[in-house]
Amino acid sequence: MNTPVNTPMDEMVDGSGRIRPHWRNVLGAVGGLGKPQLEERARRLERAAEEEGIASILPGSKGAAVGWRCDPVPLPLPAGEFAALEHGLAQRARLLEAVLADLYGPQLCVTEGVLPAALVFGNPNFQRAWRRSSAPARRPLLHLYAAELLRCPDGIWRVISDRTGLVSGLGHAQENRRLMGQAMPEAFRASRPRGLSTFFDLWQDSLQRLGPHGASAPAVALLSPGNAHPHWFEHVLLSREISAVLVESGDLTVRGGALYLKTLQGLQPIDVLVSRVEANTLDPLEFPEADASGGVPGLLDAARHGALSLVNAPGAGLAESPAMAAFLPALCRRFLGEDLSLESLPTEWLGSPGALDRVLDRTLDRTLADGPALLLRPAMDGAAPGARLNEAMRAAVLADPGGWAATWLPAASLAPCFSGTTLTPLPVALRLFAVSNGDHWHAMPGGLARVLDDEAPLAGRLPRSGWCKDVWVLADEDAPIIGPAAQHVPPMAIRRNSAALPSRVADNLFWLGRYVERLDRAARLIRATLRRLRRGVPSPREVAEVAALARCLREAGIIGEEALPGGGSTAALSAALARAVRPEGRVGRLQSRIAALTETVRDRLTDDMHATFIQTLRTARAAGDTAGTGLEALSRAMIANLRFATAVAGVASENMVRGGGWLFLELGRRLERGQAVLAEVGLVLDQPPARIEAGLRLVLELCDSVITYRGRYLAVLQPAPVLDLVLADPSNPRGLAFQIAAIEAALAEVAGDRRDELVAEAGALARDAAALVEGVLEATDQAQAASGLPKRLAAMAAAMGAVSDAVTRRWFALLPAAQVLGMDDDPAEPADVVTA
Amino acid sequence: MMYRVRHVTAYRYDKPVDLASHLLHLKPRALPGQRVTQARIRCLPAPDHATETHDHFGNATTRIFIAAPHQQFEVTAESLVSVDFAPPPAAGDTQPWEEVAADAASGEAAEFLFGSSHAPALAAAVDYARPCFTPGRPILEALLHLNGRITAEFRFQAGVTSTSTKVEEILRLRRGVCQDFTHLMLAALRGLGLPARYMSGYIRTRPPPGQTRRRGADQSHAWVGAWLGAEHGWVGLDPTNAIVVRDEHVVLAWGRDFADISPLRGVILGGGAHRLTVSVDLEAEDEG
Repeated sequence: MNTPVNTPMDEMVDGSGRIRPHWRNVLGAVGGLGKPQLEERARRLERAAEEEGIASILPGSKGAAVGWRCDPVPLPLPAGEFAALEHGLAQRARLLEAVLADLYGPQLCVTEGVLPAALVFGNPNFQRAWRRSSAPARRPLLHLYAAELLRCPDGIWRVISDRTGLVSGLGHAQENRRLMGQAMPEAFRASRPRGLSTFFDLWQDSLQRLGPHGASAPAVALLSPGNAHPHWFEHVLLSREISAVLVESGDLTVRGGALYLKTLQGLQPIDVLVSRVEANTLDPLEFPEADASGGVPGLLDAARHGALSLVNAPGAGLAESPAMAAFLPALCRRFLGEDLSLESLPTEWLGSPGALDRVLDRTLDRTLADGPALLLRPAMDGAAPGARLNEAMRAAVLADPGGWAATWLPAASLAPCFSGTTLTPLPVALRLFAVSNGDHWHAMPGGLARVLDDEAPLAGRLPRSGWCKDVWVLADEDAPIIGPAAQHVPPMAIRRNSAALPSRVADNLFWLGRYVERLDRAARLIRATLRRLRRGVPSPREVAEVAALARCLREAGIIGEEALPGGGSTAALSAALARAVRPEGRVGRLQSRIAALTETVRDRLTDDMHATFIQTLRTARAAGDTAGTGLEALSRAMIANLRFATAVAGVASENMVRGGGWLFLELGRRLERGQAVLAEVGLVLDQPPARIEAGLRLVLELCDSVITYRGRYLAVLQPAPVLDLVLADPSNPRGLAFQIAAIEAALAEVAGDRRDELVAEAGALARDAAALVEGVLEATDQAQAASGLPKRLAAMAAAMGAVSDAVTRRWFALLPAAQVLGMDDDPAEPADVVTA
Repeated sequence: MMYRVRHVTAYRYDKPVDLASHLLHLKPRALPGQRVTQARIRCLPAPDHATETHDHFGNATTRIFIAAPHQQFEVTAESLVSVDFAPPPAAGDTQPWEEVAADAASGEAAEFLFGSSHAPALAAAVDYARPCFTPGRPILEALLHLNGRITAEFRFQAGVTSTSTKVEEILRLRRGVCQDFTHLMLAALRGLGLPARYMSGYIRTRPPPGQTRRRGADQSHAWVGAWLGAEHGWVGLDPTNAIVVRDEHVVLAWGRDFADISPLRGVILGGGAHRLTVSVDLEAEDEG
């Protein structure tokens, strides 16, 4: 490219200052809003992104996805321009797949010298495990492809990086479109951009075609590294779009040469795997550098022998090498017999003879201010962002020229971006996507435009955060208006929705249930304590209640031994409660765990459910963070936590299908609450018979049963009626019997058998509770009998713990640790040599 | 020379292994100079699933998968192989080593120019080898010199190194086993821009009449395949025994380093601690 001028093109305004026709509708709609409205829309976009989870969940919580900001002004592309890009994108995808097929097969381009051997054999992304030396490469190699482009001053879009390994950004594009539809409806109506759903349908259909021969409805899974991954949100979103079950490697196992998902219903076959993990972490058997505990041993062999379609193929990332751009024109003629239509930005591999001199001559001897800038990238690492050439880099490049690729950067075209107050023209990069159905490549009629502000990397993998724009491909004005359904779409294969619940997800839902309940209990205990501490001079009864509550708080791990009230002082207790409420305290840590677990089960929650969880949890977190030491503020923070727990309960009961997932959430909640009731009643009753009455009052308060009791027995407190209400009455949702009945029902459902031994164990607990209350009722001195109960209550709590352990063992059985043999020990020097 | 090879690898585990996957490079390669008339692998317990393929380097690979719980695992590889590799050219007639390096960037040897995880192109190894590679020296002369120096200057001693020992450490220790010496020589040659590959196999158990027992017998053995240029191709050099590979070695496989072609690699679930025993027997057979 030898453009004499390096002045960036303006996407919106032409050389003579006129608005380009394809911008008129967008701009009209944006302008019609007026500045205050536009500011409001930008805020709305930001809020929506935050609330629905692209942005962080809880500030500072581990593994949180960091936000992408969607600009309210989209990037429109005229129909004709997109058609040309689509054509070029498809050719480029065909080319890269042909190159991959050669490199993972006969390697003719290396023996013929079209591609330097160093770029293949010295390339960390060349996965030897996937190559077949004596047969054509196994396909599919490339199924999903993305290219990132910059528009040069001459008006031509050129590719800065190819993404052929882990292709990220589709989820962001999809999410931008959804958010824009909500936040900018006027612009949407005015421009009527082409929809994206056809593309996702095509993608889903093409995945169905990848199933083994004869399988009419192959099971598709999307493999994610898990919720700590920066693009976890995208994995959740895409798995829904393509009806794939979202899995992690621990959910999978290979048996008899085929891949299976470990579910509560046993092993279920997986036919097609969309991988979102680095190739060399797929299978510890094949990649010596892999960690034994990650990956699925045998997965690659299953794919190698056709029992599984794995896309993109492991090693497809080889085609991302920045240096390869220098050889694509020649490779295109060699493999396709065509000229490359969608060019790369001019790129040199500095290992080529003379390349180093050419690059250094053209750049360092001149000032960079007016000339084109140069992007230096590791020659074989397509994920690296690269850096502009400067004197410091010069030494690194001179030391190992073959390790570098140099790309001449144009001044990228400018598009108007809303900076919060004004529209500012800023450079943009355009990421386009295409999927193959085996015969043809289809481009997504849209894309992801990144605003290249100072922090944005120019190339490489999609960053964790940034500022982006929705890309609107406009309908052809001359074309007849047709709905998406009338467009040409190949006949769709029948789909099967995989409803299988991976054991890991059941495990996480179980613990989510337990932790939500644990938070609820902590909030109730703290609130009840604060209420008494706030009263100033306490009555003797209140002193006894505070002491009993402190024992409960201690037992629940909310305060330490040193905070127990002694010598009439409750100062240490107040301080300990204030600490517990802080984000780093017990309550804060419970919130963090709940946030993390919520993310791990994200694909099992609808967007509304997820939003409800996260918003109420955030409110609770913020209330705890700002509460300080004031008793009233601390009380308010506890109410926020109780609201969260109530919201979860409500959402679970109203919005979750009563299937596997809900059952485990339910089991977790009910077991936790049942154990808490037993522990609290036991601790509160653990005093002399004379003080029992105060304890009974507290028991009713903690079990939220004061009103019910009053309704039944007015103000007369007696041990047997109180204990009946909190332990034996199956209609009290805060009482023990209700929890046991719910546990029995859930266990029977999960086990598929009412006579299951675990169901029987739960039933035995219900009978124990009834017998215990009966005993108190029949005693001549009820107070005496009640104060003798703590031991029996402790035994029942232990029995309930045993049920919980049995659930864990049976359904979430942790696999023994994986280890690698043959690398740690030394086959050349065995520990114990037997000489034959 | 014809050999009957028997290689037994046995693991005993403290706790049951629930699921085992193993990748084996245990079948000798058919090569010019090496004829394989029999090769079979048996394992106990019998695998639930097994596959055979050729890897990127053309080596025969076997994968076995065992899904039944087991506390012992034993693989026996037996083969009948006759070897008679062509003698190397006269050392003085080979090309200057710099010319070989200059021609190596394309063609079949190119892959073995590049450093790998266990045998990177290493400056310290180049420094060690430099006295052998004087300017213009015929390549085989230089290689034989280096091969002999490693045998003479490094002590063969088991138990001081492991598969993860780095070449720098071997240079410092001046001790190790065949695999270490091989990685060292590979690191030096690659650092000099010369293609070299890791050869895995065996060396005869009993020495030829009148000679001392070779070091590295009774075990898997390793040596270097060095590139002499397009005309003469590859030569096997054994830096553990200071010999050129002719008819005392059997080739199993080659790769960039040990990690590409370890004879037996596995991933197991469970098992606890384990004990490994290996026995290798390479007996000369009467030919005919």
